[in-house]
This record gives sequence, structure tokens and C-alpha cells, in this order.
Amino acid sequence: MVWRAIVRSSVGTSHKKRQMPCQDYGQYFISSDDVFVGAVSDGAGSAKHADVGAELAVKTALFNAGDWLERQRISLAFTQTQAETIFSWVLETVVTALKQEAANTGYSLNDLACTLLIFIATPDWVAAMQVGDGFIVVGSHSHEYYLLFQPSKGEFINETAFVTAPNALDEMQVCVRSGKQEFICAATDGLERVAIRMDEWLPFAKFFQPLQEYMWATSSPEQEDEYIRNFLDSERLNARTDDDKTLLLCVYGR
Amino acid sequence: MGVGLPEFVENPENRCPVVLLLDTSGSMAGEPIRALNRGLTVFQEAVQEDEQAALRVEVAIVAFGPVRLVQDFVTIDQFVPPELEANGLTPMGEAVDYALDLLESRKETYRTSGIQYYRPWVFLITDGAPNLNSPWQRAAQRIKEAEGNRKLSFFAVGVQGADIDTLRQIVTLERPPMLLHGLDFKSMFVWLSDSMRRVSSSTVGGEMVALPPVGWGQITT
Repeated sequence: MVWRAIVRSSVGTSHKKRQMPCQDYGQYFISSDDVFVGAVSDGAGSAKHADVGAELAVKTALFNAGDWLERQRISLAFTQTQAETIFSWVLETVVTALKQEAANTGYSLNDLACTLLIFIATPDWVAAMQVGDGFIVVGSHSHEYYLLFQPSKGEFINETAFVTAPNALDEMQVCVRSGKQEFICAATDGLERVAIRMDEWLPFAKFFQPLQEYMWATSSPEQEDEYIRNFLDSERLNARTDDDKTLLLCVYGR
Repeated sequence: MGVGLPEFVENPENRCPVVLLLDTSGSMAGEPIRALNRGLTVFQEAVQEDEQAALRVEVAIVAFGPVRLVQDFVTIDQFVPPELEANGLTPMGEAVDYALDLLESRKETYRTSGIQYYRPWVFLITDGAPNLNSPWQRAAQRIKEAEGNRKLSFFAVGVQGADIDTLRQIVTLERPPMLLHGLDFKSMFVWLSDSMRRVSSSTVGGEMVALPPVGWGQITT
């Protein structure tokens, strides 16, 4: 049994129009113990160097989560308290790294504002955190999907929480879901409106099912990425969202 | 590979509410009210040019002198500009109260329908002074509280003859009243539509949407 995964970002049409870079970033790694760690981040549209912030946040989160995993023996069960401890610490390292970057470059911390979603998955459980919007959805073999967190929004659609905010730790949502997760999808908010039914915050199965099937049908998704790239750049999708979008998919299986 | 493509869920469009709070008291009779009416049509047409904004921007019109709801919230694609008539006094305080209540109840509707929305705008246009018995101080307090809590953005525009001193006390220091150049409602509504188009397409983290420069009036500081 192995993890198979792919992550791709695509710049939004509104960013292209204003000649802004893609301010999303996503990455993952698989530890020597076969634990999967993934993270995605969406740089705030208003922040001058949000692209730098998003990339640094993801890389720092993965590095430190990995470091922590090397020092732990991963057990069959993982508690909410354990998850809160590890993610609080990882978030702290991310904020420290962003502050350091701000100090080194002369940017303000807010110039690096970004959201952050991280998940750690084993065959027995998935633990996840989220600051800001975007979503993590897990799926079963029978194509039942479950949204881990409601994206955190302010009262208004164009407001959310960022890791650079003083209250980021309070804004952090954490959960642990036990049992085997066949499929995990993390994405930035550029895909929210097409993938999640927002009146009840339910994943839209017909969005996720083809992605899950693609992952099952592809032995090395990172090499065979045409399907995902075409989808993220499709006119059909761009007609529905003008924002940057990032998709991180993983499955565990043969 | 025989894998289909992800299908998309239909979510209700985000909404961007704006209340036009229009002084239609007797002193607006004649050319002023005609220019205002033409301005409303300009507004409707200019927002309509932007397909997305036409579905997102929702306008309500509250006229005062006496206070009445001329147009309940409606998206621009469904909006038919009314023919306003001028008569009566200037119950400005009551009108502000009414508009803020209207906005609260609209937000409640959004929330129960799972519709996400942008920070509402209230746009007051007047050529006079509030009636002597109008509770405008209380209304001013409500505006300042709402602005302080970032619940809405309140703009006041004075037309020649407006009591700018009172307007200045109604709005916040950060957003002083504007004095309209003559009866150039047209340019003002073009500006408003451009602003609403920007607001209604702003994405997450847009702390402040940069508004277009004001060419139709003068900031009264």
C-alpha cells in the first residue's frame, strides 16, 4: 500500500489581468514511516508579498511537521489534544518564519498574510488544521465525502483569517478523524464555490468523485498531471472563479 | 483515461448591497429631481455593463420627505429605475433609521439563505437640512457605531443648499461629506457603479478596495 498524490496551483484570471503572480502554494511529503503530510496556503489578495508568505508558510509547516514526525512513534490512535499540541506548535514556527522573513526583507508581516491548511494522514487517521478559508474534504471508497471544517469567514465574503493576524491561534480549527480515509482533497478558496454547497457546507459529491477516480486510475499522478492541469486552467472553471486555485489530492492504496 | 470531469455545484451568487437614501423633499423639485432620476438610470446601465456585478449588486431605494421604500432590494439585472417625485419635508433621521433597519433585515435574509455578502454601502443624497424634530443625532450615533464595527460604509453627498455642517456630524471623520458639483448626478452615479463593480469583485483579504477618484464633487473637510 502506498500514498499517491498530486498538487497543482493555477493563477486566477483576475490575477492575470492585473499581472499579479499566483499567490497560492501547496506541497506535501511522505515520511519514512509512510505518514502523509500536506499543506496549502492562499496569500491574501491585498498583501503585497502574499506569494512569498504562502510558499514560506507551507514549506515551514511541512518541514516542522516532518521534523516532529521523525521524533515520534506514530500510533494507531491520535487524540484531539495531541493534534492541537502539534498544530499549535507548527503554526508558531510558521509565524516565526514569516516574522523572520519580514525582518530580513523589510516587508511588514501583513505583506505576507496568508491562510494555511495542513493535514497529517496515516492509514488509521487524519489530523488537520485550518486558519482562514479553503477546504479539506475526505472521501470513502463508496464516494461519501466529508468536509473537515467550515471555512472561517468574517461577516463579509471578502474577509477571512490569516496566520499573520495576532489572533491566528484562536482562529485555528483542529480535528482528528479516525478510520481509513481513501481520498483526501485540500484546496484554496478559489474552488470553494464550485465544490462546496455553501448553504449547508456540504461537499458536492459530483465534484469530488471524478477527482477520486482519476487518482485511482493513475499510478503516478505527478507525472500524468495533464488531467488536473487542464481542469484547473479550463475555461469552464475560470468562468466560475477568477481567483487563484490550488488542488492537493491524495489516495492511499495499491 | 475514461475519467469524467468534476461537476460544479450551483451556489447562490454573492451579494453586494447598496441602499440609496434619497432626499425627495419639496426643494428637490424641478431640475434637481429630474437630474437625480436620470442618474439612477445611468447607475443601472453602468452596473449592467458588468455581467458579474449585475448579478451581485443589489440596490434598495429609500426616499424621504416622507420616508418610503421606493424599491426593495433587487439585483441590478432586475432593477427598473423609478421616477421619483419631489414633495414634503426632510425627515433625514427617520430615513437613516429606516435604511439601517432595512439593511439589517436584508442581512438576516442572506444569512438564512446561505448567501455570502460584501460590506453594504449606504449612500445618502440630500439638498437640505433635517426637519427640526428629526432624530438625526440618534441616527448619526447609529451610523458611527456601524462604521466603527465595520458593519457598513456610509457616504453622504450634499447637493447645493445642503446643510453640510449637519452632514459632517452624521458621517465619520474618515468619510467626510461630499458636495456635488452642480447637478452632476450622472458622474456621481458612474462613480458609484464603478465603485460597486470593484467592491463586488473584490476577493478575500481585500482590506480596502481602492475606489476610483472622485471627479463629481468636492470633499468638504
